[in-house]
Amino acid sequence: MKIILLLGLVSSLLFSDSLDALLQEYKSTSDNSLQTVNEKIGHVVIYSQKEIRLMQYTKLNDILKELPLFNINTNQFGLTNYSLTGSKTTTSGFFRFFINDHEISSGYDQSTSLSWGDLPLDFVDHVEIYYGESSFSFGNETGIYFVRIYTKSALKENSSEINSLITSKGSRSQSLTHSSSFENGWSYLMFLNQEQIKQTTIYNGTKLNSNGTKQYLYLDAGNENTKINIGYTDVSKNNYAGLALDATPESGKSLSKDFFINYTYYFLEDKSLKANLSIDVNDRSYDEANAQGIGLIPVINLANGLTIPKIFNEDLRFVKTNAYLSKSFDIEDNSFIAAVNVKNKTYDVQNRETTNFINQTKNVGAYNSFDEETISSLLFQDSYQLRNDLILVANTKLDYYDRNAYLKDSSETLLRLGAIYTPTENWGFKSFYTQTALAPSFYNIDYADKSTPKLKSQQYHIYTLEGVYTEGNSKFGVTFDHVEIDDFLYLSPIGFINIDHKIKTDGLLFDYEYSFSDRDKIHLNYYTSTLSETINNATKGGFIKFMGGYQKFDYFTSLIYRNGYEYLGLDIPDSFDMSLGVTYHVTKDFSYSIKANNILDRSTQSLYFTNFGRNFFALDDNDRSVTFSIRWVF
Amino acid sequence: MRILILLLTLLSFLVAENYTFLVQPYSKEIELEAKIIAEIANASLHSKIRLFIPHMTEMEEKVYSKYFILSPKCETANFVFVNKNIEKEALCDNENRLFFTNNYRKLLSDEKYFGALFWNKSRPNIVFIHKRLEQKAIELPKTFDQFVENF
Repeated sequence: MKIILLLGLVSSLLFSDSLDALLQEYKSTSDNSLQTVNEKIGHVVIYSQKEIRLMQYTKLNDILKELPLFNINTNQFGLTNYSLTGSKTTTSGFFRFFINDHEISSGYDQSTSLSWGDLPLDFVDHVEIYYGESSFSFGNETGIYFVRIYTKSALKENSSEINSLITSKGSRSQSLTHSSSFENGWSYLMFLNQEQIKQTTIYNGTKLNSNGTKQYLYLDAGNENTKINIGYTDVSKNNYAGLALDATPESGKSLSKDFFINYTYYFLEDKSLKANLSIDVNDRSYDEANAQGIGLIPVINLANGLTIPKIFNEDLRFVKTNAYLSKSFDIEDNSFIAAVNVKNKTYDVQNRETTNFINQTKNVGAYNSFDEETISSLLFQDSYQLRNDLILVANTKLDYYDRNAYLKDSSETLLRLGAIYTPTENWGFKSFYTQTALAPSFYNIDYADKSTPKLKSQQYHIYTLEGVYTEGNSKFGVTFDHVEIDDFLYLSPIGFINIDHKIKTDGLLFDYEYSFSDRDKIHLNYYTSTLSETINNATKGGFIKFMGGYQKFDYFTSLIYRNGYEYLGLDIPDSFDMSLGVTYHVTKDFSYSIKANNILDRSTQSLYFTNFGRNFFALDDNDRSVTFSIRWVF
Repeated sequence: MRILILLLTLLSFLVAENYTFLVQPYSKEIELEAKIIAEIANASLHSKIRLFIPHMTEMEEKVYSKYFILSPKCETANFVFVNKNIEKEALCDNENRLFFTNNYRKLLSDEKYFGALFWNKSRPNIVFIHKRLEQKAIELPKTFDQFVENF
């Protein structure tokens, strides 16, 4: 009898529709951040507001470093760099990053590292990571991984927030987020951040560093039909190993100022007609001095030693403008999206000089005549609800690349077919076949191997299959992928080349999570992959993480694994990146946190080379450190 | 001990939120908003609620119709929830009906509204204005006292 009474009491508490309980549930549902997910785009991982808070993810890289089938490295400029499993790329175009609707990848090399790399998450509500080509839906440039960063909603915040952190290595970050909403339906969110970065490593008895400062400004204003996003970053940092032939430059700096404005307007009552305009301006400067020589591939002729510079500096400007118009409409069981997108990119060399060993200074100017590209795209999507439990998705996109200079204009036809099948509440299956192409960037062409300057687009054929099973509080998932790549763009020690044969890779991923309660969760992940080429990065990995809370405390621990490998006689060991942390909520609005990073000092390592690839060496990507942070909302 | 395990198991199943794929448009937040508005409307009026939401979206219509009789016009409704920006003239008078909003500033500046459900510091809040409750002779249950404010 007592048991029945107790059960009754528990269920009445749980099912109570009292306003307090409903408000609590409303908040916790909002913290799960599921309102923007689009299952039709690809295989998705969501980092919700709740998880970001419990796991103390303060930077975007905290999230990205645990992603499966993905490697995160430090490149020769001390910048974070993302690579597909098994390979290491110096800057990559496989990954597309968005803040809300705006793509923040660089107009030069398609990377986000310099301007937006390691973005602070203080103003971020949630992050969605899609494995699969999603340019069909958004009209943007092509890619393999799409990282969509959603900022906090001004309507839900309506407050100010200060975040500050300091690490035992001397890095600091302070940010202010302020948001407000008005009676007329408009609202705005503003984010300001200032960071001092300290990152040093010893190589060959010399200290390499990428110390510097970063400032971010972000403004999001809008009402029901209008969204205006403005972003600005100002980065100044040392150049780590830079382009120095001996990987130890005497001095060097990277500067970048990046500004964008993005305007979106939804027409019609159902908001089915969407127009978007944006402009990005990026000013970049780079200088380096090294008496041992600078490996500036575009100007060096190996037969003539006098072409090797010892001093190099450049000032560049990149401008990207983009216009997008889409219409969605439903006809019976079909949901269609049709869109058109035009993007123009320009590359302007304002100054580029080299000085060689006999002190001759030369104004180099543009490396080649490729300085403008216009990409026009037409796209069409149909998702057809064949049965209640089966959705078929078909996309096609036609990209036309209009290039000046010696590069031929080209067109690429992209295609995707997929199905999402949910036969019961517990079982779900998803499969896609995607055919896409990644075109060479200004950077690829600048650094092309001189014997093959006309680089071609890389062609990708991707097959994926995902199965998910849920039972009670458990969720178990398996994903398989098979990728075939033609004309892969590879940075050899003397420049980019298209690989002349087909590259194949397979990946298998297991994922399991168990929720003990709304706040406590354990999550395990393991993946393994094969690659038909020489391995120069991890091919297996996984993580185990636990997060939870008790009364005024939140806590987490995580262990991220990447396997070791051997490359040209270098033995790279397994990596076990373990972190743990605690947050104490003094009040609902004030908390402080402490987090220990890379406790075992077994970081991942990245490969570097000297003297055009004659020698290779490896350096740790992360140090062991402690981070202390505070958060105050008012 | 067995009881404890039984309770814990029961609890764990009740809070289970796992899904395979979110293929249908996500409605859980609107669902909770609708439940909260239903609680408030039922506590404020003792007659059958006929709800009007200006410029109601398809999703809102689907979700709110589970908890209310929906009124196509302001004039035939006895409870109006204004959760979008609309022209003042688009609304009917407030003689025979109650007005509720999701905008705190709108609540402060327009005497038509007796309360608001809005977000602040990432948390949902409810506020009723005491004077306006009295004017409209609304008697809320004691459990609502924490949401009533004197301005």
